[in-house]
Amino acid sequence: MNDQHEQRLARVLVELADTLVDDFDLLEFLSTLVQRCVELLNVTAAGVVLSDQKGGLRMAAASSEQARLVEVLAVQANDGPCLDCVHTGAPVLSADLAAETARWPRFVPAALEAGFHAASAVPMRLRHHVIGSLNLLHTGPDVVDQARVSLGQALADVATIGILQQRAVDNNTLLIEQLQTALNSRVVIEQAKGVLSSHGSVDMDRAFGALRSYARSHNLRLSELARTVAEGTADLNAILPVTPHSHPIVEPHPRQQ
Amino acid sequence: MQDHRLRLRALLAGDGNGTSRALARICALAVSELAVTGVGVTLLDQPGTPDAQQQLARASDAVAAQLEDLQFTVGEGPGRESVVTGAPVLVPDLADAGGRWPAFTPGARVAGAGAVFSFPLQLGTIGLGSLDCYRTSPGALSPQQVSTGLVLAEMAFEAVLAAVAGRAPDDLGWICDIHVEVHQASGIVMHQQGISMREALLRIRAHAYAHDLPLATVASRIVDRHLTLDTDE
Repeated sequence: MNDQHEQRLARVLVELADTLVDDFDLLEFLSTLVQRCVELLNVTAAGVVLSDQKGGLRMAAASSEQARLVEVLAVQANDGPCLDCVHTGAPVLSADLAAETARWPRFVPAALEAGFHAASAVPMRLRHHVIGSLNLLHTGPDVVDQARVSLGQALADVATIGILQQRAVDNNTLLIEQLQTALNSRVVIEQAKGVLSSHGSVDMDRAFGALRSYARSHNLRLSELARTVAEGTADLNAILPVTPHSHPIVEPHPRQQ
Repeated sequence: MQDHRLRLRALLAGDGNGTSRALARICALAVSELAVTGVGVTLLDQPGTPDAQQQLARASDAVAAQLEDLQFTVGEGPGRESVVTGAPVLVPDLADAGGRWPAFTPGARVAGAGAVFSFPLQLGTIGLGSLDCYRTSPGALSPQQVSTGLVLAEMAFEAVLAAVAGRAPDDLGWICDIHVEVHQASGIVMHQQGISMREALLRIRAHAYAHDLPLATVASRIVDRHLTLDTDE
């Protein structure tokens, strides 16, 4: 690890620990976590799945909204390294996913289809409680390098400590409210992606890109912008301009309710 | 945990038909499974609109009904908040909630509530109402009880949606493994047809039923633009 890398790591650790802000948004925080994992750990993709508190796992954040990556994360509600990791509370590694078909019959085909050949998952643990898992995915086998997994675990630990301190969550009550808010916001974002993709005749990746860049350039929270889109009250043309030369568009005609 | 959900569903199915029967059963299950004193279900009569009105659909006892009434009157409280945030609102000791709901809290305590727990009937922006529980004595729900509350709210969501679609309320259990593409497809159909998100989800579901296809398959075809639902579907 060179000096430059160490400095970047130090900056990221501070960034992830800095959660004592009034407008903390768990979903945005997890998005930052997965982006930093990709930058620092040199993996192809990263994602976070969270326990839905009903015995299932839900995708909460992905380093890109590319449909195949979303699918690789979503399918781990059924099987895959994240599910094993949440159940055992221990890191799960595989350097050769093609050899794991029997172990993860749903996850492996989705991962290979998306071009990933190695994966690791580290737990996000709050005291005795595993709230989810950080998933690192790589097109080559080197993602399961132990140093990299350890660093991934360190980032996940700092992030979960950040979540814990954020509202002095000394009982589970606020944590549950926060996790459920994040999971519902994730559904709102998917609904909003659908609206924008229909509006602009674009795929889900571009729809999300438009949503995120508009939120950033207008200093809006992604989940709040997504809500206005999914409720039909946003100016879609401002978020995703439709040029006269693009595909025929069906303009929205919100029915008066 | 899946067994847990199946057990609750079996208990629910064993009690006849009708949405109000289903909601009554969900309330009764919440009372016993969450060890609370009483439960009410409040529904939004015009979900998704700014002036949506809340209406009490079911209450297991007079105090539960009174607490719902109080929330309508003062315009705040745990059920209202859970509908707005889309997340459960868990207050193990109502004595601590005076700052959160200055108008609701004193009245609720006089009515006899020591703890309140509300679970929204919610899927993204599709908010149908809330499942509101109270207990006379303070104390937190266990993680298992929170989990049960979330599952019961999910079942109430399905029962209410089934009623909107004119379907029997025994049609439960499809939300728990809903695919992300279903949400994306709902957004597409909402925009294409100029309808509400709730209506869009119902139309996708109706198409899946009518063509005997898995919901995820229909959603995937809509997302890939291989399928466009008819406006009269």
